[in-house]
Amino acid sequence: MRTSNQNDSDPDQDVVFEVRDLEVTFGTNRGESRVVRNVDFDIYRNETLGMVGESGSGKSMTSSALMNAVVSPGETSGEVTYYPPDGGEPISVLDLDEEELRKFRWGEVAMVFQGAMSSFNPVKKVRGHFKETLEDHNRDVEAGLERARQILGDLYLDPDRVLDSYPYELSGGMKQRALVALALILEPEVLVMDEPTAALDLLMQRSIVSLLKDLKEEYDLTIIFITHDLPLLTKLADRLVVMYAFDIVEVGSTEEILYDAAHPYTRSLLNATPDLNAPIEEMQSISGSKPDPVTNIPGCSYRPRCPMADESCAEAEPPMADRGNGHRTACFYHDDVSDEIPIPAMEAAEEGGEGE
Amino acid sequence: MTPKYLLKRLGQAILTFLVTMTVSFLLYQAMPGGPTEAMRSVILSQSGGSVDIDRLNRMIQLYTNVNPDQPMHVQYFNYASDVILRQDLGTSFFKNEKVTTLIMQRIPWSMFISVYALALGYSLSIFLGVMTAYREKSRFDSTVSSLIIGLNSIPYYIVGVVLIYFLAIQNNYFPTGGRIGSGIAAGYNPEFMLSLVKHAALPAISMGALATSGALAMRGNAIRVLGEDYIRVAQLRGLRETRIATQYLGHNSILPMYTQFMIGIAGVFSSAVIVEEVFAYPGMGLLMFEAVKTQDYPLLMGTLLVFTAISLTAIFIADLTYTLIDPRISVGEE
Ligand code: SF4
Repeated sequence: MRTSNQNDSDPDQDVVFEVRDLEVTFGTNRGESRVVRNVDFDIYRNETLGMVGESGSGKSMTSSALMNAVVSPGETSGEVTYYPPDGGEPISVLDLDEEELRKFRWGEVAMVFQGAMSSFNPVKKVRGHFKETLEDHNRDVEAGLERARQILGDLYLDPDRVLDSYPYELSGGMKQRALVALALILEPEVLVMDEPTAALDLLMQRSIVSLLKDLKEEYDLTIIFITHDLPLLTKLADRLVVMYAFDIVEVGSTEEILYDAAHPYTRSLLNATPDLNAPIEEMQSISGSKPDPVTNIPGCSYRPRCPMADESCAEAEPPMADRGNGHRTACFYHDDVSDEIPIPAMEAAEEGGEGE
Repeated sequence: MTPKYLLKRLGQAILTFLVTMTVSFLLYQAMPGGPTEAMRSVILSQSGGSVDIDRLNRMIQLYTNVNPDQPMHVQYFNYASDVILRQDLGTSFFKNEKVTTLIMQRIPWSMFISVYALALGYSLSIFLGVMTAYREKSRFDSTVSSLIIGLNSIPYYIVGVVLIYFLAIQNNYFPTGGRIGSGIAAGYNPEFMLSLVKHAALPAISMGALATSGALAMRGNAIRVLGEDYIRVAQLRGLRETRIATQYLGHNSILPMYTQFMIGIAGVFSSAVIVEEVFAYPGMGLLMFEAVKTQDYPLLMGTLLVFTAISLTAIFIADLTYTLIDPRISVGEE
């Protein structure tokens, strides 16, 4: 077990979310399925945090837990603390009652997720979606709709046309952007984007990314971007969180992770992504089978697939080792990883000048 | 909605009406003895056999709009033109009044219990369907679902008889029959209203039982809709539960059932024939039932045509209003 004092928040950073000992479990007939295991991390205000990992590694569940929105019958435990801006009282998200939680959602944290294409009620006009959101959060509807127009305009949409349309009348990309606008309507602090680009074509993906950068500046957002598309993240995120087998295996600034990845899994991810300018469909190129949420592997969870594994890896779970500058990784041999698992593409890039 | 589509639908409805009219006309003629034969014997027995044949035929023509001496197609043509051009359905020879007059007197009452039944049945269907979907696989779900299956396997008139026995005969909660308590003045007074509702309650409930068959389908739809992304997003958006239950879950679950509901209106309305007999509720159904018993051919034909017209109108309206509840369907573009 990791000791949590190792993970105490960096005092220099303005933390917006503090997550400690987060667990998400589902009861199944094969036994308890633990889909998020003992996760600790912080989210800093106004950063873009990228979460990467295979599908089913626990990244979506972790982000849902930020809004206490794990789908039933999932059970969430641990601590999720939200720090409002300007030094307001910290909020323990998992302890909110139903009504408090309802107000918290979308007001403080909004989420755009995979199913953007079907995130709108098919029988309601887009305007109705904005209106009801404002109403149910007791906001001024007129002022809110004015704001909606402005955000839609910022997203290069024709506000009146979009507002007067039914969802089915909009294209995928338009719906996506309308959903982003809907997410910003209540001026949330944090915007979670869970695979928001999965259903979009390449061009659309890239334009959403540049839009997000602008939005972040304009609306003072903290963005959590979840994807299995590592190349996309490297262009967008300030920091990266790498998840494997329901837990975080490595955290650090994007630079650190790209050029000094210290976990074998992260390095194999980077190796599976030969060209960081091209997106990949799904990271399946890593050998070995996906971890099973019901079984508990003693020791390091990456052991079955790790080329560096030895007996000591089976005996204990590796603690989060601090490599300085907020770069932490859960591997006993983090100092040897760069020698053992080289990343040819990265070295070539370094030789040929810095990154891009 | 294009005018072309409207015309097409209207044309179909009218055609269906004509076909129904023709088929029932022919079927009645083909019955052993036929309506004129039956009528002849009724009149003969009433007048003690002292009517000459010409007078008899004239009387029959007067009542049924059909002259038995003419060939079949001429009879049909005369009848049809009376119905369509003059809205004349003939005269009931048992009650000796215009069929249209009789029907007009009774229609509001049948409408009243039917609407009452539909409101009860459909709101219960929707409510129970959504509730059981919300609590899928719970004790509540299995109890309600089995009750509905049970209720739907019992014919509605049996439900009616059971209701009368327990609520009207064993206990005096409701009257056993009739439309209104005796000695109550008609008008907008509470006593009259209450009596009206009380008399209509049992027939409406047993007809409404017919309309609860939608609950299970509604449950299935609601379970499917609950799995949709927009429901989850609505919850993440912090919308009020009541809004999600009605505007998101309710509305989208009703869509696939809307047409079925509208056609159900016709079904419920025609169940009036038996229900009104069971409850001695003098509406149009009872009128039809009496017409069958007394072999009152013009009245029978008339009520049948009116029932057909009502059903067709309901389906027509369902077609036209579907776009209002589902914007994705743009009618007329196939
Ligand atoms: S702890 Fe051992 S098994 Fe786990 S990643 Fe490091 S070397 Fe591999």
